[in-house]
Amino acid sequence: MLATIVDTGALLKTIIASFIAGVGVTLIFSIAILGASRFADMNRDGRPAAAVAFGLLGLAALLAAGAAVAVGIIVMTRK
Amino acid sequence: MHNDIVMVIVVGTALAFDFTNGFHDTANVVATSISTRAMAPRLAIAYAAALNFAGAFISLAVAATVASDVVSSGAITPTVVFAGLIGAISWNLVTWYFGLPSSSSHALIGGVVGAAFAAAGPDAVLGDGLVGKVLIPAVVAPIVAFVVGGLAILVSYRVVGRLKPGQVGRGYRLGQVVSGGLLALAHGTNDAQKTMGVITLALVTNGSLAAGADPPTWVIVSAASAIALGTYSGGWRIIRTMGSRIIKMDPAQGFSASGAGAAVILTSSHFGFPLSTTQVISGGVMGAGAGKRLSAVRWGVAGNIVTAWLMTLPAAAGIGALTYGVTRIFGTGSVGPIVVVAAALALVAAAFTRRVRAGTPVPAP
Repeated sequence: MLATIVDTGALLKTIIASFIAGVGVTLIFSIAILGASRFADMNRDGRPAAAVAFGLLGLAALLAAGAAVAVGIIVMTRK
Repeated sequence: MHNDIVMVIVVGTALAFDFTNGFHDTANVVATSISTRAMAPRLAIAYAAALNFAGAFISLAVAATVASDVVSSGAITPTVVFAGLIGAISWNLVTWYFGLPSSSSHALIGGVVGAAFAAAGPDAVLGDGLVGKVLIPAVVAPIVAFVVGGLAILVSYRVVGRLKPGQVGRGYRLGQVVSGGLLALAHGTNDAQKTMGVITLALVTNGSLAAGADPPTWVIVSAASAIALGTYSGGWRIIRTMGSRIIKMDPAQGFSASGAGAAVILTSSHFGFPLSTTQVISGGVMGAGAGKRLSAVRWGVAGNIVTAWLMTLPAAAGIGALTYGVTRIFGTGSVGPIVVVAAALALVAAAFTRRVRAGTPVPAP
């Protein structure tokens, strides 16, 4: 009976997507912080190759986090 | 003449509800940012107010009526809407008084359901809609947010656990500014639209607007302004509960709670399953605390919050039904709403005076 009242498909999609988006955004942003922090450390230690690698990692994660924010704003405007 | 007076009262009451909505739910948006010092308190509130205002204009696909899925449209009259709004405002003020975050949307739905029940009997309440659109999401939202917030903090500690705390803190504080902004935009879009929907509904039932018409510009601007003003006024009591009484937050936990909260709210919006902002953020904050360690959460405070959630619908419904009953004592004209508004204003003034005499209970951080 509950299945006829509740759109279980939409509910399940919401739960799964919430997990992916919620944990995913935090993971991506944490990687951005890791990249930025290691970039600074490696630069200070005179290891330019590693610094560039971490810098690129951080930048890519930051861009991905920015894309997630843009998707969020698009979702709001299309409601 | 009587109808016009009732309409003015309904519009004023709806805007008052919108103000309490912003005032009451400010905490959802800013508490984590303030608690972790990502932003100064006044700046955080002003930022949230500006984004609440902007959010009200982002999408004008008005949720036609907040009550259309839970109450039979034939039962809705301006007096029912008025009584429902009084129920919602009353419950918002009661929970604010005790510093408890609760859903303003559920208070509004509860108030309208109670008033419609009192006006037209049980047939006026659409049980399937109430269960499917309100009760089930109310159970699911905090649980999902709790688990997502908990997993998010575990993931973030795993990634940044060995880094220097200063750099990590600065990074997450910056992230909180963005995730808090998203929350404020989402809140403005969702909640200001509910007030626009309620006012538009009242205008339609009064014959002032054609059925299916878009909300007039003055309705959009006034609803956006009311929620932004309410937000700017800042509900410090609830901010304190959300920001420091549930858990003592570090920046990573603050970001996990607000970032996961924003992601959950926007994802659910995308799939057409709107969840309560209050419940999602509260659940996220508890999850972010429990993810660090279970004893980090003050479960007594969490229990009070859950109790407030459980009581929101029936309490607002009871007040809405009572308000409708009182207005009908004075007939179907404008006298009833005028008497109720006068009594409500007197009660609020008395409570405020008593509070002032007792001293400022919760200073702005």
